[in-house]
Amino acid sequence: MSATSLQALAIPQKLARLPGWTILLVWTAAVLLPLYILAVSCFKTTAEIYDNRLGLPQSWALDNFVRAWTRADLGHNFINSLIVTGGAVVLTIVVSAMAAYPLSRYKLGWNGIMLGLFLSGIMLPIRLASVELFTLMRSLGLLDSLTGLILVYSAIRIPFAVFIFANFMRVLLSELDEAARMDGASETRILFQIVLPMVKPAVSIVAIFTAIAVWNDFFFPLIFIFDDRYKTVPLAISVFVGQFRTDWGLVFASLAISMAPILIMYCLLARQIREGVGAGGGMK
Amino acid sequence: MTKLRRTTSLQRTQQRMAVLFILPALAVYGLFVLYPLSLWGSFFTWKGLRMQEFAGLANFSRLFVFPSGARLYGALWHNIAWFFGIMVLQNGLGLLFAWLLFLRGRGAAFFQSVFFFPAVLSPVIVGALWRLLLAPGGIVEWALNGLGLHQGSLTVLGNSHTALGMLIAIDAWNWMGLPVLIYTAGLRQISPQVFEAAKLDGAGNARMLYAIALPLLMPALGTLTTLSFINTFNQFDIVYVMQGVQGNPSYATDTLVTYFYRLAFGAEGAVGITDIGLALALGTMLFLILSIGTLLMLRFFDKRTVEL
Repeated sequence: MSATSLQALAIPQKLARLPGWTILLVWTAAVLLPLYILAVSCFKTTAEIYDNRLGLPQSWALDNFVRAWTRADLGHNFINSLIVTGGAVVLTIVVSAMAAYPLSRYKLGWNGIMLGLFLSGIMLPIRLASVELFTLMRSLGLLDSLTGLILVYSAIRIPFAVFIFANFMRVLLSELDEAARMDGASETRILFQIVLPMVKPAVSIVAIFTAIAVWNDFFFPLIFIFDDRYKTVPLAISVFVGQFRTDWGLVFASLAISMAPILIMYCLLARQIREGVGAGGGMK
Repeated sequence: MTKLRRTTSLQRTQQRMAVLFILPALAVYGLFVLYPLSLWGSFFTWKGLRMQEFAGLANFSRLFVFPSGARLYGALWHNIAWFFGIMVLQNGLGLLFAWLLFLRGRGAAFFQSVFFFPAVLSPVIVGALWRLLLAPGGIVEWALNGLGLHQGSLTVLGNSHTALGMLIAIDAWNWMGLPVLIYTAGLRQISPQVFEAAKLDGAGNARMLYAIALPLLMPALGTLTTLSFINTFNQFDIVYVMQGVQGNPSYATDTLVTYFYRLAFGAEGAVGITDIGLALALGTMLFLILSIGTLLMLRFFDKRTVEL
């Protein structure tokens, strides 16, 4: 076959692929365009947002960010969100790893039932329990409290975490902890110094998906937090949208600030997140 | 003999350690998830947040009649429409995207990362962002007017005929990456020889998708349908942020969970009239819908799973 006829074959094939590429690029634009508008609008005054819709801002002034951080007090909410997210991630990992260890590696006779009890929580629609939860939190004095939020989020994330840890720990060789046991290591030491370091991928999956879920949640702060001092970022944003309705620059900047930690994490861990979701669909 | 004694003593230690190790997780999970989900309060009358006396099914029968009936059926219908909308817009379009990425291979990771990014954002941020973009005087109005596709002020969110559809589309925008990733993982598990053989038999791409890939993607479709079902019937955040807790305009975007929230915690903020008995009855009913629906769906797709 001559070179020209090869080319003649290649061109229709490329043409045939054009509609497909177009579809993919249209959706890419549908995702990126709103985010681009968000990014440039953060640096514009409200008047500039109206005058110059798509272009880059006249100056890269950080005015809106400063006002969002101080005047709207988003900085405070940001710290609350960091505390709640960090606390929930650590608590979830520690207690879930502790529970998953004996359930996946001891012969107890009741492993199956207990594991089933934990796993049944993965799909439970916990929002429907919010009335009972509210009365419980009130009687425990955990309303208007970051500790209360940490406990509730950990409780919700424990089923998924136990599931992931148990799956990873089950396949580790049994010689591993037996050898350590012979050397007189305590069970606590075996778990935290031998088993847990062996299941680092499980730790990162649990940490990533717990952090995303907790950072983004809005429902529980909405029902448990009334004092401005303890509001988290999504709750504050839901108030801003109404409160600063006409101050678009400030709202855009608040949105950018609140998605920044997730964006950074996503850029660093996109592959792990893609694989984690593809494998289990274990999100939401 | 000594060996036997050692194993039993090891087992006894393990039983004791197991209880100690499991207790913290079980306590937190049991107290804050399992205990509150015992929705037995729905069988009692309530005065504010105080439980009064046993009422049998009175709360449930109140739920279906005036004045609650209209709200309930409205919200139920919106949730059902939302579910089918998501099945078509998100899980249908997502299949097309995943298939195109699978055929091309090149650049798949990049497109997947872009498509999935909105899914790691809070629905609050997504809702707030689209509320700004779609606002009267906002950029979408400006663009549509500029292109000559629309004239005057854009009020899609204030119009009771279009508001629900817009929210469903935004929800699909939010989660589009999920079906793309799950279908792609499913497509990669299909042996390449199957597609080669079909190609040799002269099957086009569309036919391969319909006749070969789709039946083999049943587990992926099952996961997505179940997840979409659960998420749709828990829909709250986007409605609250974009349309308020009443599901404006005039309850056109009200969902079962926004209705539940109003009954349990009042209209706006913490004020307004609550009806805990009604809220718990609605919660119990929704819990049953979700559990039974999920089980039926899992069974349905389990039966249709094809093995090669």
